[in-house]
Amino acid sequence: MIETMFSALYAMLTSPYMMGLMLLAVAIGLVVGVTPGIGGRLSIALAIPFVFGMETIPGAVFLLTMHAVNGTSGQISSIMFGVPGDGDDAATTIDGYPMAKKGEAGRALGASVTASGVGGVIGAIVFAVMIPVLEPVVLAFSPAEFFLLALLGITFIAFLAGREQIFKGLIVGLFGMMLATVGMDPYTGTPRFAGNFLFLWDGMSLITAILALFAIPEMIALAVKGGSISAVPVATAKYSYRELFQGVMEVPRHWWLALRTSIIGAVVGMIPGLGSSAAAWFCYGHAIQTSKTPERFGKGAVEGVIAPETGSNAREGGALLPTLFFGIPASSGMAVLMGAFLILGIQPGPSMITDRLDLVWTLIWALVVGNLIAVTFLLFIMRWAVLLTFVNGAVLVPYIVVMAVIGAYVSEGQWQNLVILVVLSAIGYGLLRFNWPRAPFVIGIVLGKIAEESLHKALELWGLKFFTRPLSLVLISLIVTTIGIAVYQNLRPRVTAQQPPVSR
Amino acid sequence: MYRLSTRLLSAFGLIAAATTLAHAQSSADYFKGKTITYIVATSAGGGYDLYGRLISEYMQRYLPGSTFVVRNLPGAGHLVGTNTIFASRADGLTIGTFNTGLLYNQLVGLPGVKFDLTTMSWIGKATTEPRVIVVSQQSPIKSFADLRASKAPLNFATSGVGSANYVETTVLTSALKLPVKILTGYNGNDDQLAMRRGEVVGTMGSRSSFDQFVRNGYGRYIAQVGGKDADTPQLRDLVKEPLAQSLIALVQSQGDIARLTAGPPGIPQPALDALREAYRRALEDKELQEKAAKLERPVEPAYGEEVRKAIVAALTQPPETVALLAQALQKK
Repeated sequence: MIETMFSALYAMLTSPYMMGLMLLAVAIGLVVGVTPGIGGRLSIALAIPFVFGMETIPGAVFLLTMHAVNGTSGQISSIMFGVPGDGDDAATTIDGYPMAKKGEAGRALGASVTASGVGGVIGAIVFAVMIPVLEPVVLAFSPAEFFLLALLGITFIAFLAGREQIFKGLIVGLFGMMLATVGMDPYTGTPRFAGNFLFLWDGMSLITAILALFAIPEMIALAVKGGSISAVPVATAKYSYRELFQGVMEVPRHWWLALRTSIIGAVVGMIPGLGSSAAAWFCYGHAIQTSKTPERFGKGAVEGVIAPETGSNAREGGALLPTLFFGIPASSGMAVLMGAFLILGIQPGPSMITDRLDLVWTLIWALVVGNLIAVTFLLFIMRWAVLLTFVNGAVLVPYIVVMAVIGAYVSEGQWQNLVILVVLSAIGYGLLRFNWPRAPFVIGIVLGKIAEESLHKALELWGLKFFTRPLSLVLISLIVTTIGIAVYQNLRPRVTAQQPPVSR
Repeated sequence: MYRLSTRLLSAFGLIAAATTLAHAQSSADYFKGKTITYIVATSAGGGYDLYGRLISEYMQRYLPGSTFVVRNLPGAGHLVGTNTIFASRADGLTIGTFNTGLLYNQLVGLPGVKFDLTTMSWIGKATTEPRVIVVSQQSPIKSFADLRASKAPLNFATSGVGSANYVETTVLTSALKLPVKILTGYNGNDDQLAMRRGEVVGTMGSRSSFDQFVRNGYGRYIAQVGGKDADTPQLRDLVKEPLAQSLIALVQSQGDIARLTAGPPGIPQPALDALREAYRRALEDKELQEKAAKLERPVEPAYGEEVRKAIVAALTQPPETVALLAQALQKK
């Protein structure tokens, strides 16, 4: 076991061919990740013709690395411009973009990139550690638990919204859940709130909704305000490597949080059916819930950047587990990856651990090394990227709006989503203008769908008895505790009441 | 008079011959320098995408001078892509692939159908997807007889009301009066995980989707519709009811025309012939077959008219079958 473990690493690091492939994969993965609307899923699908004829291990390492570092660059536009590339990047936007506004884009990026790397590496470790207990853990989560987990996530809205804004938070969260009900209802076979608009039958486009609620309103606000994204002029701001390095050091300073959120991310990723954006939001909610100063979140708290980024990269390690050993992909990206693995002659299944242990370890190391290369590379070039936040908005806004519009279109290839983008952008700008929180919206739209579908299934399977399953009881007690903490924090004498409400 | 008419006739004959020649010439040249859009009605990465990309790569090779572009147009269970193919200009420059299961939607007249499969320009189909009834390994059900004899209702997973897999499970369940409770909302590989967790006993689907699951020892096949696999009995040999037989035949005809390629109605014959010929040569190409074999994607092609006739036959169902389908879809 140990011998295979290190011989796999040695074989990878000493082969110029493998390292060259990994560098290429990291570069492609980062470029794809930085463009909103194009997920890792598409990049693998497009790479499939190129891995034809490649040998098994190099081909698998190439694809996995490309997929794994995708999330590492996704946060760049979230932090610098408030333009999230997908559902989990939206969590990073909430604290990352306010940091950029304060002239701390460098620190935020340093922290988020490092956090991604750390998350990816810990995710790989969790992968290795979890192999023996994979089966009981994954099989313990049934629709009943999915429903309760989603409910737990929804209760985080209480923390996200902050104490002054709990009702506004609930309203926005419910609005998100309302949009999650749009689409073809699998239980009746009738379209809900979708009529004859076929593009709505699969539900509201998540990426369009997120771009409309976050990216476009921020750009309108920037255009109205004038000046640059960073409120601090370039001369006084520290945009050098030093600031990036300060950001990097934030991760070891919050090592305990980073460790916990990485593990949460990896475990959530391991369970097929929870959706890929859930991990980042669970981690973000966890960070606020356990923080001694939750009121700092949404205003540029560095923990709010570290938590979702560790979570979303650790997820990849977790998601690889059921994909490789059950042949059941845990996310849509992994489904495509599994298809590509078949081309390379890898047969996912429990026999992987006995027959292809070398490959398993090579993949684990690919996750580790790929993440490290990506972090080094990004930290090196980020110094120049940060300067964009000091550029005048009049120059920047058109480009970013175009980027957001393209993202909304290419994610599903339906022009009608552009209409949705405009309509929801108006609502998004209204929320921003009047200081309503926007984060609960994403929670609502991401978890609302999971909650509804799994509640349906659980009721059909077990009726109301599903509440009494052992794991369900554990989750119910967690939900009750969360609500209890929220109520306590709201009733607690106000210490920071003078602080003006700040948008999230 | 007689001579005149023969002269006239031969003149006509000559002209006719000349035009056919010109046609043949132009059909070979027709696609030179043209871009052909191949629409895949799912997002990138799935089985339809894979077949679509493979076929368009090799069709391009056999239509010299043409460029094939694959366009993924997912949405509403293949409806968006299929409606788009149907409504596109019939110049042979837009073709594509979608789920054959849409013929159920057309038969019953489900909402969202803006196409008529019988009039489409059929180019070919790449393979056969036999349907299987698969049950989890840990369940006490070992055979189809066990399933029929079960006293308690057994949970079966399907994707969603209106999906081909739901339709097939529902009509066969009601025609055979199987003790099966149909659950919906299991998309993608959810059904396999649900079988492993034990919350459902089985499901019905394409054999290729479950081969790996069964090979890993998580489940077993108890009956099959279509295909030639010797390890599983054919469902039609296990049941006697005539109505069930006709439904099994319908399901089988659906599975026989898998991974199809078609264009909008009214593609001019020379262009359609050229497309069909390129499709045939692509599917007969050894290199394509090797690639498909490596991907564990079977190739069992049929071409042009044969596919069109099969589609028309599948859509010509007696009213009682249609009624049963409609009933199945409205039960919920």
